[in-house]
Amino acid sequence: MKKTKITTVGASALFWIVVGILACYGATRLGLGSVTEPGAGFIFFWSGLILVILSLVVLADSVRSSEDTVREMEELNWAKIALVLLSLLLYAFFLERLGFVLTTFVLVSFLLSCIEGTNWVRSLGVASAAALASFAIFELWLKIRLPKGIFRF
Amino acid sequence: MLESLTSLVHGFNIALQPQNLFYCFIGVTMGTLVGVLPGIGPTATIALLLPATFTLNPISAIIMLSGICYGAMYGGSTTSILLNIPGEASSVVTCFDGYQMARQGRAGAALGISAFGSFIAGTASIFGLILLAPTLADFALKFGPPEYFALMVMGLTVVAYLARRSMAKALMMAVFGILLGCIGLDPITATPRFTFGILELADGIGIAPVVMGLFGIAEVLENLGVLNKTEVFAGKIKGLFPNREDWRRSLGPIARGSLLGFFLGLLPGVGAIVPQFLSYALEKKLSRHPERFGNGAIEGVASPEACNNAAVGGTFIPLLSLGIPSTAMTAILLGALMIYGLTPGPLLIKNSPDLFWGVIASMYIGNVMLLILNLPLIPMWVQVLKIPYSYLSCFIILFCLIGAYSLNNSTIDIYIAVTFSLVGLLMKKFAFEPAPLVLAFVLGPLLETALRRSLILSDGSLLIFLQRPISAAFIIFSIVVLVTPLFSQIRLGRGLSEED
Repeated sequence: MKKTKITTVGASALFWIVVGILACYGATRLGLGSVTEPGAGFIFFWSGLILVILSLVVLADSVRSSEDTVREMEELNWAKIALVLLSLLLYAFFLERLGFVLTTFVLVSFLLSCIEGTNWVRSLGVASAAALASFAIFELWLKIRLPKGIFRF
Repeated sequence: MLESLTSLVHGFNIALQPQNLFYCFIGVTMGTLVGVLPGIGPTATIALLLPATFTLNPISAIIMLSGICYGAMYGGSTTSILLNIPGEASSVVTCFDGYQMARQGRAGAALGISAFGSFIAGTASIFGLILLAPTLADFALKFGPPEYFALMVMGLTVVAYLARRSMAKALMMAVFGILLGCIGLDPITATPRFTFGILELADGIGIAPVVMGLFGIAEVLENLGVLNKTEVFAGKIKGLFPNREDWRRSLGPIARGSLLGFFLGLLPGVGAIVPQFLSYALEKKLSRHPERFGNGAIEGVASPEACNNAAVGGTFIPLLSLGIPSTAMTAILLGALMIYGLTPGPLLIKNSPDLFWGVIASMYIGNVMLLILNLPLIPMWVQVLKIPYSYLSCFIILFCLIGAYSLNNSTIDIYIAVTFSLVGLLMKKFAFEPAPLVLAFVLGPLLETALRRSLILSDGSLLIFLQRPISAAFIIFSIVVLVTPLFSQIRLGRGLSEED
């Protein structure tokens, strides 16, 4: 168990090392400038370098001790989380194409019925109310322009 | 002093205008609501209400957004006392004795002392703000780029020092925040940096979608299938006015909590969470019967509640007088000020006195509103808590998406919010704290500009940060903060219970 945890923390540190190296690489392409006249990539380079150094500290720490490893979150339902994230990405994709009311109705129905297990009739009722009420609040009251889409609503 | 009082009277004239009173009311009510509801906090709420304030004048907008900040502190205690679930991270300590009091049939007294304590502390911190902010702003006029750079470095270092887990990880998040914050056009050469050809990224990543993702949607994702059933306190809530004995026990802790919260809140990076733990520990230490703590001691409710409210007042001082946010919540307020075309910094008080004094006066009015409205409305908040979390989670997600979209009428901001929700969730999983990231994200561009200007000023010499006394003091303090944990196992943030 301990070994698994260290590996997981180590993996996260390795991820940040890669991020830091990419930042440094991107920074050199942008141009570092000089100390007297720092260039566009100056802050990215030094931040990337510090990120790499700190990641190495975390990596070394994870090898040395088992403390401060992964937070126990076994109860997380990753399948549900993936579904929600996918539905949100699809919402963003269809929002301007199909319009706010329709996409919001579909999203809320999906979230309530598929993710939260609310029965279909109630889900559809709540979703219609949520879509129309939020349209009324944001578009009509607060004058925020929401996308109309091909159906013009 | 007389000048401040005259300005304050002018501030009341502004805050008492019907429109501003209305937005103050909306702000404190929204703040209390999100404080009551676990799963969404004031930071995400300010972010998602930001687009709705674009049509308002900046004074009304900041009055409303500030109302959310301190209103949430009042609301957070309700869930802590009735559910044993902190509505806000800064109400964690209230659970210890507040819930025990509720179980002993004293929920009313706990809620009452929490509201009165919050009011007293809120009022005291506003007077502190009136006294200190203009003085500090005058002092900060002496600041040049090196001082600002050193101050921001100190703020980020303190945030990392106060991290509950690994300090190295907190620093990593701060550095990552700087990287993200600097994405967009170079401030001097206008070269696109890490925009990957996406036009919307030329102005940088917006703070609001990032905060909505990290604090709003990520929280919902974490609670999927977990917070389905909340056990709301079933007993009748009576006796909201604490009795004489309650007051006798609570007045000292309220005074100490207010002082501690206010002065710690002043420090960049401290916020409202850590002072609350310290105030609880202090009261326990001072008590003749420390064994009562954790078993329903009213001092254990009064002091932390006073402390977190006073700390919020304290966090406004660096924001309004220096233009430096000290918490994620004030970071987004700084973003709001910039969106409204105001320049945060020492000149804000001089250039926009209506805004500064109007907001301060509104904070006092807001505190009075909260005291008058909150206690009678507690039964309503209890009913709100009975709304199934599945519905609430859908609405939180929906409002975050609308909020993100409406900032620039662009779906890119929705993609950013969704991406950061996953980032936020993974950060929780791998024990990385989001506060340093958000703070550094906002400070990143300011920090970069200050650093580059300092280097140009000094002809490339880093010694400029040590040759000027104020920046040298900030840098030396930062080094001490960074080095101390290497030689000692004692670090303030460590040992505090789980945040958020």
